[in-house]
Amino acid sequence: MKAAANLSEDKSTSKLPWSGRRHIIDTKDVTWSELEFLFAIAQRYKKAGPEALPLPQQFVGKGVANVFYESSTRTRSSFEFAGKVLRLNVVNIDSKVSSVNKGESVEDTGRNLAAMGFKIIIQRHSAAGACDLLVNAIGDKTCIINAGEGASAHPTQAMLDIMTMLTYRKDLKGAKVAIIGDINHSRVARSNLWLLKMLGAEVHFAGPPTLMPSFLPSLGAHVHMRPEEAIRDADFVMVLRLQLERQQSGLIPSIEEYQRVFRINHERLKLAKPEVKVLHPQPMNRDIEITYNLADDPQYSLMDEQVSNGFALRMAILHTLLTQI
Amino acid sequence: MKEKKLLLKNATIYSPDKNGTVQKSTTKPSDIRIENGIISDINENLSASKEEEIIDLKGLTVLPGFIDLHAHLRDFDQEDIEDFGTGARTAAAGGFTTVVAMANTSPVRDNINALKDTLERIRQVSCIDILPVAAVTKGLAGEELTNMVELAENGAIAFSDDGVPIMNMGVFRRALSYLALTKKFIISHADDKHLTGRGVMNESPQATRLGLPCTPSASEAVAVAREIEVLRLQGGHLHFTHISAAPSIALIKKGRKEGLHITTDVTPHHLTLKDEDVVPYDANFKMNPPLRSTRDQETLLEAIVDGTIDAIATDHAPWTALYKIRPFEECSVGIIGFETAFALMYERLVLSKLISFERLIELFTSGPAKILNIDDKQVAIGKPANLAIVDLDAKWTYDVNKSSSKSRNSPFHGRKLFGRNVMTIFKGQIVFQNSDDLAKV
Repeated sequence: MKAAANLSEDKSTSKLPWSGRRHIIDTKDVTWSELEFLFAIAQRYKKAGPEALPLPQQFVGKGVANVFYESSTRTRSSFEFAGKVLRLNVVNIDSKVSSVNKGESVEDTGRNLAAMGFKIIIQRHSAAGACDLLVNAIGDKTCIINAGEGASAHPTQAMLDIMTMLTYRKDLKGAKVAIIGDINHSRVARSNLWLLKMLGAEVHFAGPPTLMPSFLPSLGAHVHMRPEEAIRDADFVMVLRLQLERQQSGLIPSIEEYQRVFRINHERLKLAKPEVKVLHPQPMNRDIEITYNLADDPQYSLMDEQVSNGFALRMAILHTLLTQI
Repeated sequence: MKEKKLLLKNATIYSPDKNGTVQKSTTKPSDIRIENGIISDINENLSASKEEEIIDLKGLTVLPGFIDLHAHLRDFDQEDIEDFGTGARTAAAGGFTTVVAMANTSPVRDNINALKDTLERIRQVSCIDILPVAAVTKGLAGEELTNMVELAENGAIAFSDDGVPIMNMGVFRRALSYLALTKKFIISHADDKHLTGRGVMNESPQATRLGLPCTPSASEAVAVAREIEVLRLQGGHLHFTHISAAPSIALIKKGRKEGLHITTDVTPHHLTLKDEDVVPYDANFKMNPPLRSTRDQETLLEAIVDGTIDAIATDHAPWTALYKIRPFEECSVGIIGFETAFALMYERLVLSKLISFERLIELFTSGPAKILNIDDKQVAIGKPANLAIVDLDAKWTYDVNKSSSKSRNSPFHGRKLFGRNVMTIFKGQIVFQNSDDLAKV
């Protein structure tokens, strides 16, 4: 926490101006100086609430649209609450009850929101590349934040994961991070991979071979059949949610079989470093991918901290995009 | 309309002989006289008569009009995307005078009324030859055969379920078997739909990086393998279209060597683009089969050189923005291809010295003609005047916004190209003319 406390000094934010990035779509090209900047502000918010860095008067009341084509609890509510405590006007657009349901396209919805003057659009979509369409259509008028799409990217989740890990290590150089579960369908795994690689960490994936994409080693990751290999000497273990419909589509034989091989419990965690910490992006299936007791064990589980960091980080992102662009 | 007489002066002519081998026809540039849609004379220094329009083709090359074995011309319920008129004009701009039109239209061309409607529309609006394919199975459902004899006798050039390949090999066998009544052939888009699943991109590092569902090259090769075995069992002529994967080529080579009647075509995009070239989430890079790996492409090129590939086909598949400006996983599949095909292949195959210019022209003319069993494709006296006139020195940039197509879905927009079709003549009529290029003549 010491490093974080230092970063929260007032001068730190002025010393590290934002890169000028208008949109947060992916983590592939995010730099450490950008992360450092956001984390410094987020730590201040976390410590002292919205008054730590109030939004300048001219930005108060600006519009933020939460456009969610897919359901979400944490991401949506933390962006909404982050916007509200910063005294922004947050509007939620739920695809089930809006014109989106009548077939309106991503672009047209975005164009209308831009025409109403929304400064930031936060979008979640089931298909990769949906935010690129929005950037092409209205990126010059509005800042776009990807709140998760397809299996490609969930940048703010990966950022909050890194922020959480950095609470326990000075840096991530040489750190071993095990990511366990359905890697193929995971946007969280991909967005974390790019950031972890950029920070010099070693990323070890494990999961059912039927849920593991090809060619991960050529992208700089280590791939294992069994979770034990990935967990051995790990500094962090990130457990992913198992979508229960993967069984119906025949990708795994049964939930019981998954639990047998891949469920993370205290026993398997013994292979990791003694100070290992466990993360989960949630929502979790208790007792399927992680045991009930481990999820609640304060010695290991960082799940609550991930959520509170996510809230602070999203305040930092909204503040930064509004004031620094 | 009054029949126009043309006298083409100073033309360098390349034409297939009776066996389909393309050669330079004359040692010196010659003149071509066209009357009533027929080439009436070819000679040096023909003198013009009064009513003839004279076009000087100095420095240009006259070829038989190109043949495309695979195109989607939409029309009917999809006339907002393309119709036979715009499709034909776009094809003509690319030098094509014969286009084979796939059957997966809306409504599907699986019955005699749909075929007759197609032929009537073509007669009304097309400026070139469009040869309609009919479906193998009713509703492309892969179950019941269409009335193949009736369809063949009324003008269906071949049979294909194209994008919805027949998975049931029992049905596939019956189709090949029954087709013996017609002397027609099956055009196969080889793809195992179970291996492909929801895949929208070749299984590759790029697909993993982009988080897109992917399909392995084996999903093509598996289908090629089993269809070849059914062909061996049943006999007949099977044409594999837009082959994209290295293992498929190995299987086709082996089958041909064993004497099976297998023919094949590849597309310009599979020979010029690879999976790693896919611009992230850009729908103009989504096609089926998907762009494959470097190794797949190298194998396709080798197969062109060694003669395994009989033809270049475009798989021209227009879609308007409504269908394409969507997330990659959800948008429609395919790209337009007529206008860029010749130039892309001239650069990729001839300027790179992989094959001769003569061989390239075979891939666009006598190669597909042999598959279709049509033989009036020579530039010769007494033959129909269906000609592509190309400027091999042209350097140009493709601007898709100037396309004759109703659609704009091309990954080649803005690409520098070498060699260009500048005029297309169909049955003696000029059906395409690039004014910029001919101005200098």
